[in-house]
Amino acid sequence: MLVIGILSLIAIFAPFIAPYSPDRIDEASLLMPPSGAHLFGTDSLGRDLFSRMVYGARISLTIGLIAVGIATIIGVFFGSLAGFYGSWIDGLIMRFVDIMLCFPTFFLILTVVAILEPSIYNIMAIIGLTNWMGVARLIRAEILSLKEREFIQAEVALGASHRRIIFNHLIPNAIGPVLVSAVLGIAGAILLESGLSFLGLGVQPPTPSWGNILIEAKSTLGVAWWITIFPGLAIFITILGFNFLGEGLKKKIG
Amino acid sequence: MGNVPLLSIKNLKVIFQLDDQQIIAADGVDLDIKEGEVLVLAGQSGSGKTVTALSITQLLPPTAKIVSGTILFKGRELLGSNEDDLRRLRGGEIAYIFQEPTAYLNPVFSIASQISEVIMLHQNKSRKQAIKEAEELLRNVKIKEPKERLSAYPHNLSGGMNQRVMIAMALACRPTILIADEPTTSLDVTTEAQILKLLLELKKSLKFTLFFITHSLSVAHRIADRIAVMYKGKIVDEGLKDVIFSQPQHFHTKELIAAYEKIGKIQ
Amino acid sequence: MILEVRDIRKYFEVERGIFSQEKAIIKALDGVSFTVNEYDTLGVVGESGCGKTTLAKIILKLISPTSGQLQFNCGLITNFRKDVQVIFQNPYNSLDPKMRIFDIIAEPLIIHGIVPKDKLRPRVLDLLRTAGIEENALERHPIEFSGGQRQRICLARALAVEPKFLILDEPISSLDLTVQAEMLDLFLKLKKQLRLTYIFISHNLAVVRYIASRIIVMKEGRIVEEGPAGQIFSQPRSEYTKTLLDAARN
Repeated sequence: MLVIGILSLIAIFAPFIAPYSPDRIDEASLLMPPSGAHLFGTDSLGRDLFSRMVYGARISLTIGLIAVGIATIIGVFFGSLAGFYGSWIDGLIMRFVDIMLCFPTFFLILTVVAILEPSIYNIMAIIGLTNWMGVARLIRAEILSLKEREFIQAEVALGASHRRIIFNHLIPNAIGPVLVSAVLGIAGAILLESGLSFLGLGVQPPTPSWGNILIEAKSTLGVAWWITIFPGLAIFITILGFNFLGEGLKKKIG
Repeated sequence: MGNVPLLSIKNLKVIFQLDDQQIIAADGVDLDIKEGEVLVLAGQSGSGKTVTALSITQLLPPTAKIVSGTILFKGRELLGSNEDDLRRLRGGEIAYIFQEPTAYLNPVFSIASQISEVIMLHQNKSRKQAIKEAEELLRNVKIKEPKERLSAYPHNLSGGMNQRVMIAMALACRPTILIADEPTTSLDVTTEAQILKLLLELKKSLKFTLFFITHSLSVAHRIADRIAVMYKGKIVDEGLKDVIFSQPQHFHTKELIAAYEKIGKIQ
Repeated sequence: MILEVRDIRKYFEVERGIFSQEKAIIKALDGVSFTVNEYDTLGVVGESGCGKTTLAKIILKLISPTSGQLQFNCGLITNFRKDVQVIFQNPYNSLDPKMRIFDIIAEPLIIHGIVPKDKLRPRVLDLLRTAGIEENALERHPIEFSGGQRQRICLARALAVEPKFLILDEPISSLDLTVQAEMLDLFLKLKKQLRLTYIFISHNLAVVRYIASRIIVMKEGRIVEEGPAGQIFSQPRSEYTKTLLDAARN
């Protein structure tokens, strides 16, 4: 939790932390190793790596959060309807889920990105739209078991509308596992975004993202180790952090 | 036989440690159980009855701590015994049956395998012998068509039948004392009557001591030789059944009797 | 007459095994008919599996019968979800664990618009008092309460909609005997005070004897005997009733 906390703080306060603007080019200091002036060194265009990474944190986290947010909302929507109404609605929605699961989503994303312009918004939407199925299944399962408990029947007997039962009673009680899945999903989304950016299909330079910083890392591997190590480490620690958070939540809920 | 009680609990104090809170579950319990009798421990939920029963062979959950007291079984101190000795006692000389048989029966194993497991664990019998004995045990607890029931699973049987299976398992190794913790509380009144009758019959034929825990004086009235009343972790009244009913000393005993008079029996 | 039950049947289809095509039919209710009059307390007695809970759910319109009719007195029962309420058996499952007690009791008041917003809190406190729950319960959650207290909360919730007809399905069976006696006295008091009609379901004859004016005895989905409470106990006619009484007596 500590890791995530620190990370979030960095992302939010990026403009204050970064000593330089991420775009500032200093022709005199190309490819400098980490030093007092440049904590993480500079890249081949003379930009301060630390600053770029700090801004990149912002980008990556935002994309992760929003993508998972989209996925969760869509998943909860379909999953609750399927779980609550059952019968043909359940059948229909679950078949839809199965079909979506059959798509190799990574290639789907690649295709879409190739057709549309890769932009931050597109990335968020695409990752969100292709990752809601797990959430849907989770919440449907929770609701199916909750439906049998007497307090739901009591709500029906009290005259509660369907909407009230779903939103006020079923979803709050079913949301636990979904939350855990969401947190773990953020890790996945960040990884996905980094991968796409690395391939040049995600966040476009000059906007920094840990993934696209690594593009340069490829060509400078032997000469400038810092361009590879720092972004890589950052991604690793972030993913680990979110995974720990998710596991911690799981223990608390279960 | 003499006057040494079979089981003697003295000054038992058990606490539950929850975060930074301490809850006293048993507050200096003194209880003697004589060999061959039916002792009923009566009290409301939360009075400490189950904790007292579980302390005997230290089956308490990890949040519970036995702070002080002694528990003598056949003159031997049980508190402080090592786990191996305790394991040998459990199911062997000291057997338990509980309120929810489904919580203690494994749903994926047949009745035959569960009973025979207990037999093989405590006696040197082969699987075949154990299963044969299991069938005999089922017959002893008055289950009809015991052979068919052996291959059944817990969910195929009713609550009453599962409880009979639990009794069969508990008695498989001829225990000296059977500790029954609210075994009929979740059963129908009619099924409860049958199980109580069965326990008394088995006690007569197999000659064990019965330590029965309940919240209902109605049940106590039916089967007890002596009754001990528990209230907020302490034993507050104790005596022969008729004496307790006719001359209750403690106000809580009077409360229990009042409820019994109202809805515990049919005139 | 407040309710007339005519020849209700409820059959369930159950598969015999994973690979078998055969379906077994479980007859939960097999032709049940009776009448409930206003201000009655009808006791429904029987062992588990006799169909009493299925009957309750059908009367509450939570599940529908396979055949048969329910005729409610439309002059008395005008808004079904308001006039007919229920208390279930399991106090641990009858309340939404995530809600505060205040919200649990306030919800039916809100759904049916029984009191204006500013009068919500006093009404909730009033209901809790009627059911015997202290004021400081408002901000707490169900998990902090004992079984008996939770049933009282369920009672307060049911009474919030000002029902006329209350179905009590084994409401006290899982409670200590002393608490059972308290709850029964509370039910009796409220019935008189609020002029309610009860259907009280239980497997415990002594309990039913204490509270019911008329009794029906059920076995395997059918009614085997019915009559005034005193008569059922002193002059039972069916063999089954006699067996039940014998078991309860000794």
